[in-house]
Amino acid sequence: MIEITEHTRNVLLEVAKKRKVYVEGNFLKILKAPSGDTEFEEYLKVCKEKDSDKRKQRLEITKQIQKQNSELEQAAKENKRVNRQLEKALEETEGARQKAEELLISSKTHFRNAEKKEKEQNQKLTEALKEAEEAHIETQRLKLEAENAKSKAEQDLSLLQKKTQTELMGNIVRVALWVIMGVGLVTTALYVFVMMRGLDAKIIESTWSNLFGILLTNSFSIIGTIMGVKHATKEK
Amino acid sequence: MIDTLMLIDDENLFHLVFEDACSLLDMALSIEALDSSDKAAEMFKKWFPDDPNHEKPECVFVDLNIIGSSFDGIEMIRKINHEYGNGCVVGIISSSQDEQEIEKAKLVGAQFWIIKSDDIEPRLEEFKKDYEGYKARTAPFKVYR
Repeated sequence: MIEITEHTRNVLLEVAKKRKVYVEGNFLKILKAPSGDTEFEEYLKVCKEKDSDKRKQRLEITKQIQKQNSELEQAAKENKRVNRQLEKALEETEGARQKAEELLISSKTHFRNAEKKEKEQNQKLTEALKEAEEAHIETQRLKLEAENAKSKAEQDLSLLQKKTQTELMGNIVRVALWVIMGVGLVTTALYVFVMMRGLDAKIIESTWSNLFGILLTNSFSIIGTIMGVKHATKEK
Repeated sequence: MIDTLMLIDDENLFHLVFEDACSLLDMALSIEALDSSDKAAEMFKKWFPDDPNHEKPECVFVDLNIIGSSFDGIEMIRKINHEYGNGCVVGIISSSQDEQEIEKAKLVGAQFWIIKSDDIEPRLEEFKKDYEGYKARTAPFKVYR
């Protein structure tokens, strides 16, 4: 501790009274008032109070600034973090945009290709349809032709059948007539021979008569049957 | 009251807080605040080999992470205690409460660990009470939370 001289003491007190200037700082801690000097003791007390008040004030302000700095640092960190996130998001967005553009270009290309393909397919389909229509027409024509051919064939067959039938009938009639005529002639010739020879003609007479009747009946029966058959066939 | 006290901390604003708090608590008569452990190391180098009892601070408070310096507070304490010579009360003042770091500090000879916060005065006041024990090397390592 430093005990000051009287002169210094008086100067300090005078400066304090007239100019309101007081000793401050750690120097105060080593100053000591002469024993019994209550005035200087009071002066030192005032100096210490003033110094303490100033320090308290400064400490408060410094702490506030420190707190604000800390908050600002925190805010700056947060800003940095947000900025990083924003940058990342921006990069991601940019990436997504590029990807979307690529996809769009790819889609457009695919769309154009698909459109082209569709056109080609449509063209092919039209051609195929046309071909099918032509084929259908051709088929119809062929069908018609086939039907005509079938009809003609049927007609020919029918005609052939009729002709065959007619020929058959003619043959039958001819053979039947020949048989009838033959039997009639043989029987007549036999009857004539018997009569010329003067032989017993009773049996041959009745036989001839019966035979003739039978032949005629059968002849007409055959003719009737043939006519009937012919008529029935014609109706069908 | 501590005669000479040194604070090594990169935060200049904390220098003012610390000086005012110490002054209000009548804790130290003279305070020297440095913002770099390199500067402090240079000073300790000069003081101790040539004149071990001259100008050395009575007590040193070192921040744990000193931004802009070549080494941290724990290394600073190791240097003070083991390279430049033991002789002053030395400890950490930091906002960190990492137990591993605290253990490391203890191992290199730190005598205390003060948690730095907005309301530093109660811890400094408590430290002031224990100071004589640190000076006499009788007080155990303590963390001021």
